[in-house]
Order: sequence, then structure tokens, then C-alpha cells
Amino acid sequence: MTRQRGPWYLLTGLVIGIVLGLVYGWLIDPVDYVDTSPDSLHPDFKNQYRSLIALAHQSSGDNGRAAARLALLGDDDPAAALAGQAQQLLAAGGSQLEAQALANLAADLRGQPQVATPVATITLPPAGEGTQEPPVATLPPGGGVSTATRVATLTITPVATFTPRRLPATPTRGAPFAPEGELVTVCDPFQPPGLLQVMVLDTFGEPLPGIRVEVSWAGGQDHFFTGLYPEISLGYGDFEMQAGVAYTVRVGEGGEALNNIVAPQCSGDSGVYTGGLEVTFSQ
Amino acid sequence: MRNRRYLYFFAMILVGAGLGLLYAWVINPVRYVNTPLSSLRPDYQTDWTLMVAEVYSQENNLPLASVRLAYMSDDPAGLVDESLLTARQLGYSQRDIDLLLELQGALQIYQPLPTGGAP
Repeated sequence: MTRQRGPWYLLTGLVIGIVLGLVYGWLIDPVDYVDTSPDSLHPDFKNQYRSLIALAHQSSGDNGRAAARLALLGDDDPAAALAGQAQQLLAAGGSQLEAQALANLAADLRGQPQVATPVATITLPPAGEGTQEPPVATLPPGGGVSTATRVATLTITPVATFTPRRLPATPTRGAPFAPEGELVTVCDPFQPPGLLQVMVLDTFGEPLPGIRVEVSWAGGQDHFFTGLYPEISLGYGDFEMQAGVAYTVRVGEGGEALNNIVAPQCSGDSGVYTGGLEVTFSQ
Repeated sequence: MRNRRYLYFFAMILVGAGLGLLYAWVINPVRYVNTPLSSLRPDYQTDWTLMVAEVYSQENNLPLASVRLAYMSDDPAGLVDESLLTARQLGYSQRDIDLLLELQGALQIYQPLPTGGAP
């Protein structure tokens, strides 16, 4: 009597082979990633990469290059990642310079509509040439030619808008900041109690990111930077006050201090609670 | 007949090994998601070095620049040398080359302080 053993031995061989292949491919000689890209970096190294990008941007002011570098990290929202890292850095007592650089870059990215605006490739003319008039006067008058005149004028105009570009460090060197208007009481039970919301504007009324706001009180002081919440405003920053404590707020270097700021008491359906304040500083 | 069975058996082992390798190398290879900076491709390393050079040109803080380079390589000066070569090969702008040269020159005379050891 002969026994039919069937093809099971083939399956056994296949399974042994697969196991050997996996052991070799995963353990003995796995795929070797020696030439990795920044998006595969450990999160800590990504943070270092982001910081260096921001510091380099602080030096060069080149938004396009910074945006291209940030794109390598594969963040869904590079500006949010920068702002979040700046907040974490400040909360951990890290470098203020680095946090400011991160916040400035986040703000610059929020401010520009395109990720890879080729700012780096634009070579601005010397100061003297920048003031020359568009070639309108050189063209002869006449209906047919006037169309060409307008085209020539339009092509020059966008370049000129880059000329007054504000470098990140510029705001702190400008005129000192002073409080504008009165403190506004905010009674919103859904806000953190004692939230002091500061808005910093330049001389043209535009919000300014990366400005250091110093808060001091009897026995202590702290600081924060504007621009860490670009989703609210580039010139926005906030601080949580303790109830019953008088604070002094100063914006930038040599700015005018706003004294005796105390979190107000508000009343609502849920009873009495500590409200917040809004204040605007401008140059 | 028995010999043929052995032949098929070992043939299936080879087929299985091939399938295993296909799965391990192509379909589901080992994914390095937490790689160190030193594993970056040379052009990314060059860009890192350029960023350090850009910041150095502003800060003039050579010890800090050296530390930043050390994240990438144990030999910061060698890293800058290699980055310069790569930068030239990749056609970096003259301004970027100058920044790297400035950092290279500074590192050539930089002597980091000893970090400990027996007195």
C-alpha cells in the first residue's frame, strides 16, 4: 500500500524560503539608508534643522530659500510647526534668539502667499537706480504705443515692492513703542482667566511679529514675543495674569511702560470670574 | 522520484526566499523614520553647512558654529571641506561659496577648548 503524501513538501519549502528571505532582508542585510532626506529625521533633529533654517533666515532674510528648506522637512504646515517650536522653546527656557528667529520666520511665511517666492533670485538695483522713473517719458505719445507703456510700467512695479522689505531685526531698532488707547476689559468665560492680550503695531498700523514684550510684577518678571499666534495676528501675543496682581508691561527696547495692569473681575451666569484685558502698543 | 521531490523542495525554498526578499526589500522594507543628521545625503549636509556658515557670518560665534557642524560630523573642518567641494559641483552661487570659505578659514585656526580628561 502506497501512501499519497501530496504537495505539502512544496509548501514547506516555500515557507522556509520566505522565512529565510525575511531574516536576510530585515536582519542580516536590511535596506541601508545612508543617504536620507530631512523628512526622515528624528523629531529632535528636525527641531534642530528648523532652528538652523530660522537662524539662517534671520541672517539672510531670504524667504524663498527658507521656505524651500522647510519643505524638505515635510511638515504639513511649516509656519505652524515653527510657531509651535518657538512656543515650546520659550516654555522650556531655551534660547530667546532662536525662539525669535523661529517666530519671525513663521510670521514671514504666513505673510507671503507663495511658498517658494523667488526672493533670493531677485537682484535689487543699487539705491540710485531704484529711484529712476519707469520708461514712460521715453516712449512717444500716441494711442498705439500707450499700451506698451502700461505694460512696461506694470512689469517694473512688482520689483519695486521688494525694496522696502522689512528685515526681521528692524522693528526693535525703530521708534519706541507706547500704549495706544485704553485697556479694554474682556469678559469671556471661555478664555483663560486673566488673559492679557497685547497687539503690537508699527508706525503704519501694521502688526509686528517677533517683538519682545516684557511683563513684570512685584517679585518677578517674564516675557513673550509677538507673532507666535499668526492665526490670530502677526502682532499678537498674550500672557496669563494672576488675579489681584499688578503688572507692568513694556514693549520692545526703551518702550513706554504701562503700569498697574490688574486682571478685572467679571460676572456672568457662572458667577464671578477673572476676566482678561486687551491693549495695543504702537510705534 | 524521491530525488525529484528534493529538487522541487529546494526549488521552493529558493522561490520562497525570493518572495521574502521581495517583501523585505521592496514591498515593506525597513523604514528609518528617526534617522540622525549624520545620515543625510551629502547635498543636504552641504546645505546644513551653508546654513551654519550663514549664521556664522552674522553671529561670528565660531564655537557655536563648530557645535552645529558637530551634529553632522565628528570632523567639522572636514565637513566644511567636503561641503565646499559639493557646493562647487552643484553650482552654488559665489556668495554661498564665499560664506563657506569664510567658515572654512575660521575653522582652520580654531582650537576648541579641551573638554575634560585627567589633569
